[in-house]
Amino acid sequence: MRSEIIPAKAQRRKAVSLASLRLCVFAGILLFAATCFAQTKRLVVIKCDGLPYDVVDRYVKQRDPQSGKSVLPWIDYIFYQRGSRLSNFYVRGMSLSAPSWSLLETGQHLQIKGNVEFDRYTLHSYDYLNFFPLYLAGINGSRIDMRAVEVLDSLGLPMLSDAYPHNQRYTTYSMFLRNPRYSTLQNSLQNRFKKPPKELFDEWTMGFELRSALSEQLIKEMVTNLNDPKFRYLDLMMEDFDHIAHHNNDEQSHLFVLQRMDEVIGQVWTAIQKSPLADDTAVVLISDHGVNTDEKIYSQGYNLVKLLGSRMGGGHHVITKRRLMLDYSIKGVNPFVPLITTTTPDSYYLKGESTTYPTAMLDFDGNERASLHLRDSDLNMLHILLQQLQRGQFPAQTEKAAIDEFFSVIDRRRADWEKDLKQLQTELGALDRAIAEQRKLWESQPKKFTKEEQDAGLDDASKRIYVQLDRWQQERKEYGEYALALQNLLKISSEAFSPSKVKIADVIPKMSMGDRNTIYELQNYVVGSGPNGFVLNPDGSLNVEQSFVRIDYFSLLQSISVRNNVQRGITNRPVDLIATRVSRELVLPLIEDRDIDEDVVWVTTGANRQALILSRRNADGELSLRYLPISGLTQDASGRLQFKQISWQAGLPLQIFEDPNLILPGPDRSAWLSQWHTDTEWLNALHKTHYSNGLVGLNEELARHDVERLSTQDPGLSQEERLMREFAQRKRELVEADMLIIAQDHWNFDVRGFNPGGNHGSFFRISTHSTFMVAGGTNTHVPRALNIETPYDSLSFVPTMLALTGNLRDDSNPVPELWEKGFRKFPGRIVRELLPATQDRQKPTAQRIK
Amino acid sequence: MTFQSRRHWHLRASFLFAFLLVVSPLLPTISKAQGPNSPESEETDPATALSQILRLERVEVPGGAELITVHAKLAGLESTENDKWVPLVSILRDTLGDNNAENNRLRYMWPLTYTRPTTKQRLAAAIPFFYTRVGNKENLSRTPPPAVDLASPESEVWDKIFWTALQNILLDPYGTPIKASTSSYRRNSSDYRRSHIIRALSVLALYQAVKGESAFTPAEMAAIQGRLLLSEKTFGGLVDDSHLQTYYARKTTQARDERGHNWELLRQRAESEALYFEPLLMPDGSATHALLWVAKRDLIKQQGSRYDSRFLNIANPWTDKRLLNWQGYIETRYFDSENHPVDSQTPGAEAVDMIPLGLYGLDNPKIPMLLVDFRDSYNPKKREMSRRALNDVTRNLFSLSKFGNLPFFLGRTVFDFATGRRGMDINQPSRLQTYSQLKLLLALNRSMEPELRSEVSGRLEKMSLNPFENDLEAEASIATAQYEALLAYAKDPNGLAAKLEKDRRAEMLPLEHGDKAQFAFRLMNILSFGKYVHREELTDEMEDRLDIARRLQYHTRFLQQIAKSSADIDITWNLEDVRRSLRFIAEHGSEAGGSAAGATAKIFVRTKDDETRRACLDGLSRIHSSKAKNELLKISQNTDLDKVLRDLAAEYLRGTNSRVQPVAATVSGAPVVVGQP
Repeated sequence: MRSEIIPAKAQRRKAVSLASLRLCVFAGILLFAATCFAQTKRLVVIKCDGLPYDVVDRYVKQRDPQSGKSVLPWIDYIFYQRGSRLSNFYVRGMSLSAPSWSLLETGQHLQIKGNVEFDRYTLHSYDYLNFFPLYLAGINGSRIDMRAVEVLDSLGLPMLSDAYPHNQRYTTYSMFLRNPRYSTLQNSLQNRFKKPPKELFDEWTMGFELRSALSEQLIKEMVTNLNDPKFRYLDLMMEDFDHIAHHNNDEQSHLFVLQRMDEVIGQVWTAIQKSPLADDTAVVLISDHGVNTDEKIYSQGYNLVKLLGSRMGGGHHVITKRRLMLDYSIKGVNPFVPLITTTTPDSYYLKGESTTYPTAMLDFDGNERASLHLRDSDLNMLHILLQQLQRGQFPAQTEKAAIDEFFSVIDRRRADWEKDLKQLQTELGALDRAIAEQRKLWESQPKKFTKEEQDAGLDDASKRIYVQLDRWQQERKEYGEYALALQNLLKISSEAFSPSKVKIADVIPKMSMGDRNTIYELQNYVVGSGPNGFVLNPDGSLNVEQSFVRIDYFSLLQSISVRNNVQRGITNRPVDLIATRVSRELVLPLIEDRDIDEDVVWVTTGANRQALILSRRNADGELSLRYLPISGLTQDASGRLQFKQISWQAGLPLQIFEDPNLILPGPDRSAWLSQWHTDTEWLNALHKTHYSNGLVGLNEELARHDVERLSTQDPGLSQEERLMREFAQRKRELVEADMLIIAQDHWNFDVRGFNPGGNHGSFFRISTHSTFMVAGGTNTHVPRALNIETPYDSLSFVPTMLALTGNLRDDSNPVPELWEKGFRKFPGRIVRELLPATQDRQKPTAQRIK
Repeated sequence: MTFQSRRHWHLRASFLFAFLLVVSPLLPTISKAQGPNSPESEETDPATALSQILRLERVEVPGGAELITVHAKLAGLESTENDKWVPLVSILRDTLGDNNAENNRLRYMWPLTYTRPTTKQRLAAAIPFFYTRVGNKENLSRTPPPAVDLASPESEVWDKIFWTALQNILLDPYGTPIKASTSSYRRNSSDYRRSHIIRALSVLALYQAVKGESAFTPAEMAAIQGRLLLSEKTFGGLVDDSHLQTYYARKTTQARDERGHNWELLRQRAESEALYFEPLLMPDGSATHALLWVAKRDLIKQQGSRYDSRFLNIANPWTDKRLLNWQGYIETRYFDSENHPVDSQTPGAEAVDMIPLGLYGLDNPKIPMLLVDFRDSYNPKKREMSRRALNDVTRNLFSLSKFGNLPFFLGRTVFDFATGRRGMDINQPSRLQTYSQLKLLLALNRSMEPELRSEVSGRLEKMSLNPFENDLEAEASIATAQYEALLAYAKDPNGLAAKLEKDRRAEMLPLEHGDKAQFAFRLMNILSFGKYVHREELTDEMEDRLDIARRLQYHTRFLQQIAKSSADIDITWNLEDVRRSLRFIAEHGSEAGGSAAGATAKIFVRTKDDETRRACLDGLSRIHSSKAKNELLKISQNTDLDKVLRDLAAEYLRGTNSRVQPVAATVSGAPVVVGQP
């Protein structure tokens, strides 16, 4: 059979062809595998506080007349020529450092809502920015992490750096610092003076810049560590631009600082290129917010503390965590910043009692916004009634009416207070038991650790056990005091009630704001007894309308105007909008939507221009939002809301309808805006408007977001665990303010000093538009010279970084190793444009990943 | 008085002062009131406004130099001579007679309002505690004195040290009268010079904002301004030129920060006290001063109201009966519904009659400084005097020093801290800067009502503590006359040209002599009270060498700046410029020194460009210095480098590829084999 006879030549040819084919396939497989497994092995994150994208972009495109290169040559070279940049990257939530970095660090919804938070019951303050308490307490081991890290840990939210083993990460000094390295501080000072004598002499003559000593040391350490392939995650924080932009509005000063930052970025890049992992390293430039600096305008301050202290503002003694006029105060030299009480001489009923009964707390950090807590209005009323009754100057009928009103208030609140007290006491019981367990655990800890154990971070983990114990003990004491006072109040009986025998301090909790006020209370807030004293109704009962001075805080704040308004283009009304959270149950009777989330955000710019921001989630947990224009929202004493739905029009909060930069799929603005849309759809539509993603941001800031660690629904939880979670939930809820006040453009509420250069904290695009750029070695496959115009927000950062390093699955769940470390499914979108086309995203799933 | 009793007296005085210093911040400052006055802010485009009021003039100076003068149109002058154009600042640039900017050298700066005082002024300045002006200088014929020699800033430092030593060693022991008198004179003289340097700085800053071609390069401008700013510091003249740009940028940022803070502090304080704040603008649009007004209608409404004078430092307007019957300056202002100041034609504008209360300087550390109190002219003066008087009394009268007396040290430290920290307007740094700027503002601001301007001007002169100072009109005449004298001096071959030649001959010293000889000549200069200055003979060859030396210095500085600025110069600099400098250094290697070698070696490390690296090696091989050879040696031994480059460096060292003979080189003092791998 001829056909079966294959000549030797043909056989050889066939064999060669087969071999070639096999070789090609093998090479193909190798190439494919190489592409699949080639990914970022090391992350270098350069964090820049308050670096606005627009400013960077403008300067990158500006040429230096001398060199002909960009005035920011390194950023141009690294990120514009050899990397990718997101030209529409926004802060989600307020453009404020602590909340914004918490999103960027965790990739999860917002839990930290301000640079400072206050616990309403205990006035315990969470100051996320102050380093000094950590440095000092760290010496004796009573603290090890920054306050923000402690809070995130308590919520079970790991940070990006936690994805790496202890000895593989080098982290910078920031508000999310774990375990400060004292050696860095020491070396920074030593190295500051290790210079040639002439150089030192010149510096001394010109004035030493000690501020830069620490950052110089951090850069030095980072450059050194880059050479060590052991380190897989390194970050560096630069705060210079934020600092200068607050103080100076001139471009020359901004450029001067930016060029210094550019040099540092160049140093880091050069060190990476010299390191063994150069091809596998991705360098990231990320910022937490922008800033509304304008060369032609000084940002003007308005003093809310003074307003609140005035008669018109309620005569409050006001608590802040920032000293007013810090630079002009002798006490301001204290770096530990205790709670600051600004005493008012205009208090209606608490003169001389500022140290025991402050009635307002204000956090104004960031400055384009402030969070205001007011003491529970009913506590004010009870306090006033008791004071007046103890003076004993009333006719019997008035006294009886006042006593009746006193008990009427208690009885109105009794059910809620009793329930809350019982729950709090149960939680404190669980806390007592947890403290006992924790103490045992601490006592069982080894006192010495080997080098290997230290490298693994076991010594730090041990310290954290003590820190937890210490914190719980403090919390036990503080909440216990509040519970005792509330208990005493509820014990007062109308039978045989003798006001003179009641010690006010025993029944009205000292240094406490009590429960959050309702909208009714904020619109009818009791600040003192009426000008004519107690007035009786014809039936002999107390006329509560005339017997007390009441303030509508929404109207008051929105009516503020100033006389000194010398800059064109700035309104004389410092307050732009006020927002607060209301319950779904109150809103449901007045709207058609039924399936909405628990939290509704009410935002107002005046009685006739208001909105409700409704939210809901689909089965996949995807968030949708609806903006409902309303007017005249009020709440009556029984709790019932009233408002009128109005049509879309100009002048509504966030000024969406009239904004020329609104991007909608069709011409009918009202129709599109009236519908439900996902957060991504809203971001796409709104991101170029004056308030950019403010609508999404308000929901992020004011709504409560579920966290697994706080969930009490898990059937596997023990009773103790459930109680501790409820306690943790309580602590987060107690830091929620009564209202969020947002300043008008070029206004700020900074009273610690002056920030004429510019501010942030609002939802204005100029403040939320932030920087996110990535460049990498050849194996990282980060695209070159790519400008990603699709809008993204802060929630995208962590999942994108994990995807870039091959630690994230396509469904946004982390790989099992990270799941074990506490990472969970990420709600944000990955910036897919940054990822290599053939990324291995089919990693095995962890058993518990849903 | 016995020695012991004098010691007791001294001790008691120390304790008394320490006590007073500690308690005085707690005492409220008292201020009084009286008098009238008006303003308006300038709203035109700053660049346009500046080009209308500033111009530049260049005059060639024989011998190869140019005199560059900034002229300004002073709206605040009564005189209309020269259409109110007045020369303000002249700077001499030594060009060596060519158009090459690389060998230019900035030399003298004349603030033309700065003049030699009259005998009367000198006598008054020597009287202790005589804190006032004594009239103006009128007859001017002499060439003006330069305030700064930009090319030789270190001489000023030695000068200061010399006079301080003279004061302490020779004059102080003659007793209180001599000590008080001489130190008072020196202080007045130094303040007078400083105030004119400040004004020159302000003029130059304004000129910088003028759009179009500038007479100075940005680097020159930064160097001038950096040097002038450093002239305030005792050892400022010794600071290396490489720091000038950074220092200037830092100080500018700081000044703008302070200005913004004070602007906002004053606005907020005005708001709190129901007053009106009005910023006063320089022609470049910067608000350096501000006025506070009270609305006449509020005087009735707010009568008896609570008033906090903190930071305002003027008396309570709500209890001041004089304001109710105010006979002084009143201006009607108009405001729109948002309280913006508008003109009277604006629809809905509300008219408000306003009375000026105070004028404040904003360019000041910490707090806005009261410069004019329209109800009490001596209020700002008292505040300005407080620190000076305290220093004069303690130092000159009681001979108390912080360094030799512990109680006084503690008391003074607490006092300084408390007044400084709280921002109390006593014992604050001098108002000299903001006072000088206000004079300039009054001269340049064209929107201020003439009546208000003259009111402010008159009151401002009362605030001056310095007998050397002249008033605004007199200064304009002085500037014009001095400029004429300077021009005549510049055109005279025996004038400025001769001085320039002398300076160049002195500059040639390092070209001919080594370090030891230079030190000896410097010593002789000091010992002869500056009379002896060693100068070289001026020959064509020396002139050429000077030209090369200056250009070498220029290129070396350029390379140093580049090396310092970036870890990888390929990314940040135009390499053609870098190579041009390297080539120049290589071509003149025999004249270049260690610093050029250091800069070249750093450039080698910071570039990956082969051509630039070869240019560096070529340069190093031609520089006649052991440092250059050591750098070549290090390169030849650096195994991280490409072998070709190492071999090339080794060849240069061996001399096989260089035009110079091989030299023995060492690193860390250890002998090495040339060309080893």
